[in-house]
This record gives sequence, structure tokens and C-alpha cells, in this order.
Amino acid sequence: MLNLGLLTPDLVLAGLALAVMLADMVLPPSRSRWLYHLAWVSAAGVLTAIVLGLGKPATMGMGSLWVADSFSQFFKMTTLLAAVLCLLLSLDYKALPARHAGTFGALMLFSTAGLMLLVSASDLLLVFVSLELVSISSFILAGFERSNPKSNEGAMKYFLFGAFSSAIMVFGISLYYGAAGTTKLAAGLAAPGPMLILALILIFLGFGFKASLAPMHFWVPDAYEGAPTPVTTFLSVAPKLATFAVLMRVYGTVFPSAQYELQALVALIASLTMTVGNFTAFFQDDAKRLLAYSSIAQAGYLLIGLAVGTPLGLEGVMMYAFVYVAMNIGAFAVIQAVGEEGGYGLDAFDGLSKRSLGLALTMTFFLLSLAGIPPLAGFMGKLYIFASAVEAGRWWLAVVGVVNSVASVYFYFRIVHRMFFRGTRGEPAGLRVGPHVYGAIAVAVAGVLFFGIPPEPLIAGVRASAHLLP
Amino acid sequence: MIEHAYLIPLIPFFASFIMLFGGKEDPHSNMPWVGIAAMGVCLALSVSVFWGAVTGTVALPYEHNWHWFSIAASIAGRSFVYDMPVGVLIDGPAAVTLVAVTLVSLMVQVYSVAYMHGDVRFKRYFAFVSFFTAAMLGLVASSNLLVTFACWELMGLCSYLLIGFWFEREGPCEAQKKAFMTTKLGDSGLYLALLLIFAKVGSFQLSQIYQFFDKGLMPATIATVIGIGILAGAAGKSAQAPLFIWLPDAMEGPTPGSALIHAATMVAAGILLVSKTYFVFLASPTAMESAAWMGLITAFLAASMALVSYDIKRVLAFSTVSQLGFMMCALGAGGFTSGLFHMTTHAFFKALLFLGAGSVIHSVHTNDMRQMGGLSKKMPLTFLTMLIAVLAIAGVPGLSGYYSKDMILADVWNHDHLMFWILLCTALMTAFYMFRLFFLTFWGDDRDHEKFHHAHESPALITGPLVVLAVLSAFAGAGLNHDGLVHKLIPKPTISVMPGAAVAAPAHASEAKPEASAHQASTEHHDGHLPAWLHMTAIVLVLGSITLAFLMYRGPTYAAADAIKANLGPVFTLLDRRWYVDDFFYALVTVSDKVAALAFWIDANVVDRVFVDGWGLLMRIFAQISDAFDNLFVDSAVDGVGGLGNDLGVGLRSLVREGQVQEYLMYAAIAFSLAATLILTR
Repeated sequence: MLNLGLLTPDLVLAGLALAVMLADMVLPPSRSRWLYHLAWVSAAGVLTAIVLGLGKPATMGMGSLWVADSFSQFFKMTTLLAAVLCLLLSLDYKALPARHAGTFGALMLFSTAGLMLLVSASDLLLVFVSLELVSISSFILAGFERSNPKSNEGAMKYFLFGAFSSAIMVFGISLYYGAAGTTKLAAGLAAPGPMLILALILIFLGFGFKASLAPMHFWVPDAYEGAPTPVTTFLSVAPKLATFAVLMRVYGTVFPSAQYELQALVALIASLTMTVGNFTAFFQDDAKRLLAYSSIAQAGYLLIGLAVGTPLGLEGVMMYAFVYVAMNIGAFAVIQAVGEEGGYGLDAFDGLSKRSLGLALTMTFFLLSLAGIPPLAGFMGKLYIFASAVEAGRWWLAVVGVVNSVASVYFYFRIVHRMFFRGTRGEPAGLRVGPHVYGAIAVAVAGVLFFGIPPEPLIAGVRASAHLLP
Repeated sequence: MIEHAYLIPLIPFFASFIMLFGGKEDPHSNMPWVGIAAMGVCLALSVSVFWGAVTGTVALPYEHNWHWFSIAASIAGRSFVYDMPVGVLIDGPAAVTLVAVTLVSLMVQVYSVAYMHGDVRFKRYFAFVSFFTAAMLGLVASSNLLVTFACWELMGLCSYLLIGFWFEREGPCEAQKKAFMTTKLGDSGLYLALLLIFAKVGSFQLSQIYQFFDKGLMPATIATVIGIGILAGAAGKSAQAPLFIWLPDAMEGPTPGSALIHAATMVAAGILLVSKTYFVFLASPTAMESAAWMGLITAFLAASMALVSYDIKRVLAFSTVSQLGFMMCALGAGGFTSGLFHMTTHAFFKALLFLGAGSVIHSVHTNDMRQMGGLSKKMPLTFLTMLIAVLAIAGVPGLSGYYSKDMILADVWNHDHLMFWILLCTALMTAFYMFRLFFLTFWGDDRDHEKFHHAHESPALITGPLVVLAVLSAFAGAGLNHDGLVHKLIPKPTISVMPGAAVAAPAHASEAKPEASAHQASTEHHDGHLPAWLHMTAIVLVLGSITLAFLMYRGPTYAAADAIKANLGPVFTLLDRRWYVDDFFYALVTVSDKVAALAFWIDANVVDRVFVDGWGLLMRIFAQISDAFDNLFVDSAVDGVGGLGNDLGVGLRSLVREGQVQEYLMYAAIAFSLAATLILTR
């Protein structure tokens, strides 16, 4: 049963990406901004189609290599939401060359389509192919500012590590094939044994690169620093969360990590990731690098849910993932707005509250939410994850998480402190912020506040979505 | 009125937003009156609730919940729904605290209109104060520990904003960071305690958690862990040893803001949290005893540090820490009523002390008491109100501090005699250093003539609140103590299954219960007092230490004090360095800083160099090797193969007619991919 219909949204999006590329040839260069609009409208349209199709049995089911269940629909929505917001951000990002607008939009959409396929994949073959689609698009996107040496360096590092991790993953997949005789995820259950476990570990490490888990996180700060800010925003959210979705599908349900005694490994990597991310962030003087390390740490919190492996942990990861989209994109949007004028050093934030109180306040919301301070959405997500760890008796993991989130307050507050308690260099000049950045920030801040203070809708949504088809 | 109790936190919350975003920033803005009006309404509401409780027209505790969110979960095959309502829970302590908080906040705001007038961020200051108060009121009134925790964190944020209000200077910036990080450190304990409560009870609802403890379902060890976690949080917020280091530095903020932090909001929150979760401590004698000792040590250390400081606000800060230690010690010694009673009276006289000190500083423009003296002639109203406050905090009979402190001493006497003597000693030190402050500031002759010359009585907006608070400092204790009112309002909570009694057979428990509670009621009545001789001794000693302060500090010089200081040099250095607790934490921070720096260095140098650059280098070497290999072997092999292929081609051509090898291969590929597709999509 091919059941290609299940992938309609993904394929439509890929088609639209091609359409954006074709439109690039037809449109005169002066109209190149239309291409961005076309791109984000396409992504938003597909998002709407998925939202409207929620709960309809026709949109769910098993394909030959893929599966469309409520879990995958959930992560498709987060991916598309991130794509829409990042495309909005790129509309107001000046460093992007105008004559490559079509390429940029198309690559973003290809990457998004790849992520959508990734979260639907029920076969390691499709996992790998869609991951490569994502990776290759992102390599190019990361190096899109071709005149910026940092962008080139970041893209190069990203590429080398990506290639390396792909190789590791392919090796794992080949071992898996050797053990199970197929690359279907469900089939591996019948063939437990050391080779399968080795394969699972190698595949996990491969995913670890994409999800920026320590000690596979080295490419992150450089790539994030160099990439154009909208791309950084996208990279820090969408591929990471989609990778977590696959991780949960593989290690949360198909091969419960408890069964293969991988829990200790996952828990160790989780605490290492949190600690390395948070403590290295202390010394960053570049806002993008700081948030890069923070996003590493955030991946560590997410991994707690996976290490716990209970349904509550799974729901916690989904919930935090959704919240993370809002707060991280919001924070990067403000960084873009500030950084385009004054550079990305932390001192660009000095006295932001005088230049634009609204921007400073929303940034404070995002950072507080990232730090997990109630009553914002980030707190609810963290609470869910930590509570699942305590419930499962994984005490020390919760302790490490709590201590880390306390430590993280320090570096998030370095930015808050600069925004409110430092004078500007010279006269406080008003900040010019594009309307689309404002739009993205508005969506993000609504998410951070709305899902934090009444978390009921999000919890209900997560509950309804936490069903995986085998 | 009590059904509108939810408005009490919400009104100042909205007022703060109106003040923050409404109107333009202007040193003479009229916006502060929005906050003051809002607080007035809250005060009226709180007083109506309180009065209802006093006259008995309102039955406490009152609880009302609204649906907030719920989590459905299934654990080990069983399905649950975790219900998380949001609501108000007004019990006796809450009713009393609401009045104290709103009243003090109102007085502080009225006072600040004059004190902060002309500040460039005039409006913003009032927005912060309103928000701060709103967070505290939310903490007091909430029926849900999650909301309590949210308010708790918001209060930490507000203290950060308020302490660093004058951020142009170096001091406030350091102080705000210190305050925030120190309290955050304590908060991690509270966070874990909350997680543990949730994991065990499955609810954040105070009444449900109480039920759980009441039935003795919580194992004693877990209760101890929870209790210690809560204590860690309370130690951070309420500045208990060893986390008290932030409070003396928090003086860098505006003085009325300090009054708010020290009297009504921030520091009372820790005590209040312990009282809200008192059943945890009842279930765990270890946690209870830790609270008592933590409070006792704090009270003693802080009082000793206050003896040597010359900064008027710093002495008051140390005295706050010390008084909080009294409250914590009382709670730990089983004196629930006395601890909270002292918190209430302390709110009034500490606010008065800070506002009075602010009035003095406003007038002479220095914090150093050595440059003051003789101010009673210039500022009679400030002098009189301060006198009442100092008498109250020293525990002179008749004033409010006397009643509450007496009750604490009695409770501690009944708990542990050693603790009592240490606490009595601390109380004597309190009387001494408070009168030292008083005499240095107001008594004798002026020491700095120029400053004295410019000194003047403060305007009515400043002295008005002082008078109101002075009246309360004088009479609140007697009023609350009248006819056992405070026992009625703030009854000590009990849990039916006490630790250790759990082994008793259930049949016996039911008949033992009324007897036990009757016994408890009767002993409580007797326990309320110290033995008469001890009572008299304490009063005489307090008066004695006041006289000592008078003798040492009455004149323009304080030669006696200097002589003692010269003889006891090391002790003074020890006290001046605050028992080296600050240094200890600095060392700790330095170490963790170093560790983080090391992690960064490893990341930047070792990992980046070795891993990333090394990878590149490896690749290059590999590329060169493969290049050489290519040149040496492959190329010649290719040439060879080419030749071979040529030969083979000639041979194949002879085998296959018209020789279209490519075509055959293409057909094969198509067949293979068709087959693969069929197999894969079957």
C-alpha cells in the first residue's frame, strides 16, 4: 500500500518550492520581494490545510515508508509555524542578496518539506533521505551571506559535521539492516541483539549532531553566528524539534530506551548537554552565540523527557517543543531587529528599553520564558518535563535540570540587565524595525503569554497529539 | 466582601500596567495616584475581610477555585486527571497579612510621592512598587502552590528591578545581581520541593496537599526532603543563614523601596510560605528542628553584625535579618501563632523605621550615623515616631513588639531552654543596637555642623505615613493580643496523624484524637506565658541594655565604645566582615566562575582546535595522501584499465552484434528500479 495521499501536504509544499524557483525566473528583479511573500504564504497555506485536516481519519494512516499520525501532524505544524515566522523575518533582513530571493525561499521550503517528511518517516531509509534534504538545503542557507566570511566559515563547519554525522548514521542504518534484514522501524523489534543495539546507538549519535546534543554540538555556535539571522532562527528551531520527533518515535516508542538499556546513555547526554550549553553561555559576548549555547542547553532539557521515556515525558517534550518555537523565534527576532543596526555584540542591547520599550519588554518575556520563570510558557513546559522525571523516579535528572535552569538565569539576565539598566551609547535613537519582524514577534509573544498563563489549550492539544502509530 | 477577595491582587497588578504604559515619563507625573488609589481600594477590601473575621461574620478559611487547566495522564495503567484550579484561599494568617501588606504598601507609596519626587523615572518606580505588592498579595491569597511559586518568582524579579533602580551607579547594579542570584539559589530547593510534592500528591492545591499530610500518607523522609527544600527557598527570600548576604546590600535601592522589601513583601514571603506549608513541618520533626536552628543562628549572627555598623540603613537591614530569624525560630519551635504575630507587628515598626531613616537621610543627605546627632531638635516628628518604633522593636512593655516577642520567647522556652537563652541574648542585642542607632542619630549634640544646619523636618506627605505607622506600632500588638484574638485568628494548624504516632492502631487513633486535641488546647493556654520570674528578668535585662546603649552613645563622642572596639579588635573585624559568609560565597562564585571559564576555554581551544581544525587538518592530510595515491597508482591504473577496456571493448564488439552495451545496461537499470519500486510499494 503506497498511500501517497498521506503525504499530500509535504508534496504540495515541495511543489510550491519549485514554483517559487520558477517564479524567480519569470519575475523582474525589482519584484523579488514577492517571492518571499509567495514562500511564506505557501507555508502558511499548507499549515492551514493541516490544521483544518486535524482529526479527520482520512489524513491519518500508514504508508509504505511513512506514517501520518497525530504525532507527526503536531510536529509538522511546529515546523511549518517556524518556517512561516522565519520567512517573515527574512523579509526584513537586509543582508540577503535580492537577486537570490527565489533560491532562498525555495530552499527554506525544501528544508521544511524535508522536515515534514522526516517526522512522518517510519523507515530509516526515508529518515535518512529526508534528513539529507534538510541538511543540504540548510548548508546552503547557512552560507547564504556569501560576502560574509563568518557565514562561509559557519557553513563549512556545518557541512563537515553534517557530512560526518550522516556517515555515522548511514553506518548505523547499514548495521540495522544487517540485524533486522530491513530498514523498517517496526521490523527491528523482532531482532534484538548486540548488533541492533550498536546500530541504535550509532543512529542516535547521528541524530545527536542534528539536535545539537553535547558532545556533538561544536558546529552550533559557529554556524549560528555566521548564518543569516532568519536562517539561524530556523536552524535553532525546526530541524532540532523535528529531530526530537524522530528520536521520540524511534527511542520513545519503537525501541523503548529502557528495554535496550540506553536510558543511562540518554540521561548522561542530557545532563552533559544542559551543563555544557549553560555554562559555556556565561562568557559569550555575541548575542547569537549566546542564544546558540542556550539552544544547546534547551535541547538538553528536551532530552530529559526522552530519557524518562514515559508517556508523561513524551507529552512534556511535545509541549516544550511547541513553546520553544515561540520563545526562541521571538528572541532571535528581537536580536535581528537590534543586531541589524548595531551589530550582534551584547553591547548593542544597551539601553534598549529607552529606544523601544515594547521590544525590550517582549525580549524580557522571551528570555524569562527560556529561563523557565513562571508564569510564562517556558515554565509550564519545563515543569511538565521535570515532573515527568520525578514521577519516573529519575531524581537526579530533575535536580540537574533545576540547577541548570537556575544557572541559566544568570546569562539571560545579562541581556535583560543591559536592556534596562545600561545607558545607550550617545543619544537614544529610535529603532527602525520592519513590520514583518513585528508581526513575527507579536505571534511569538502571544504564544509565550497565552500558553503560559492558561496552558490548558496547549496541554489538551498535546494530549490529543501524543498518539503514535507503530 | 470576601467573595471579591480575588480582586485584592488583581487591582494593583492592573494599576501597575496602567502606570507603566499610560502617560509620559515625567518627574512630576500624576500617575502615582493611580497606584495609591488602587492600593486604597485593596486596603478597604482587606480590612473588610479582616473585620469580618474578627467579628465572626465571615467564616475562615474561605476557599474558592476557578478552573485553570488540567492534565490527563496515565501512569502504570491507571488514568488520572490532574486538576489545576486557580483560586483564593483566605485563612486567618492570610487575612492578617493582607491587611499588613496593603497598609504598609499604601503608606510607602504615599511617602514615596514626596521622597521620589523629581526622579527621572518617577512613574516607573510606582509601577514597580505596585507590581511588587500585587505579587506579594497573590502569594498570600493563592490557594495553589503553583501560583504561589509564580508570584514568588515575580517578586524576585521586582526586587531585582527595585534594588537596581538607580542603575547609573555601580553599587545598585552589583546589589541587584547579588540579590537575584542568591534568592534564585534558594529557589532551586523550593522548585524541587514542589516537584516532589506534585509527584507524591498529584496536586498543587494547598487543601489537597494538607489532606494528604493530614492522613499521614506522606512518608517521613520525603516530608523531610520537601521541608528542607521549602526551607531553602525561604532562606533565600527571607534572608536566613547562610543566604542572608543579599539583604544588607539591597539597601542600594530607594529607601521607601527598602521599606517595602523589608517590611511587607519580599522577606515576609519566606516566612509566609513556611506557614502556608506548615503541615509539612508538622509531619517532619527534622525539618521543624532545622527551621528553628536556622532561624536562631540567623537571628544571632545578624544581631551581632548590627552592633558594629555605622550605616543607618545597614543597621536596619541587619535588624530585619535578625527579626526574621526570630520568626523562623518561632515557627520551628512550634510557635505558629507567635511567629506570624511577630511578622505582622514587625511589618509595621520596620516600615516605620525605614521610612523614618529615609526621612533623616532625605534631610541630612548621608547614611553615616557618625555625621548625625542631635537631630531631635530639628526633626521632632520624625524623632517621636522613631522613638515609638525603636521602643517597639526593642520589646519594651506596652508596645506591639513586646507582645509578639514575648510570645515567641515563651514558645521557645517551652521548646528548648538552650535556644531560649541564645534568643534572649539576641533580644538584648536588638535593644542595644536599636538604641545605639537612635541615640547616635537623634540624641546629644550635632557632630557635623554643616549637615545639621541644613537639616529640616520633612513635608507632611512623609511625616503623615510615619504617624499612621507609629500609631500601629504602638497599639497593633495590644489590640491583636486583646482577649486572645491572635490565637483565634491565627490558630496553629494540626495534622491528625503525627509522625511517630503512625504505628498506633487505627481503632485507638479515633478515640485518642479528641483527647489529644483537648490536651493540646489546654496546654496551649498554659504555654502562652513564660514563668513570671523569667518574664520579669527579661524585661529588666532589656531595659538594662537600653541604659547601656544610652551610657555609651548619648554624648557627641563615644569614647567608651571606641575603647571596647580597640580592645576587641579581632571580634570587631569578624563582625564587620559579616562572619566571612560573604567571602565564602564570593569564593564559591569565583570557583564556579573558574569552572565555567574552563569549560569555555576547553570548548574554544581544545575542542575547536583539536576537533574542528584538527578535523580539517586531517582531511587535508588525507586529501594529500589520496592525491599522491591517485597520482602514483590510480592514474596509471586508469590508464591501464583504459587500455584494458579498449581491448575488452574490441573483444565484446566481436561478441555482441552492433555492440550497444550502454543500452543493455540502461534496460537492466529500468528493470531493476521497476522491480525495486514494486517490492517496496507492495
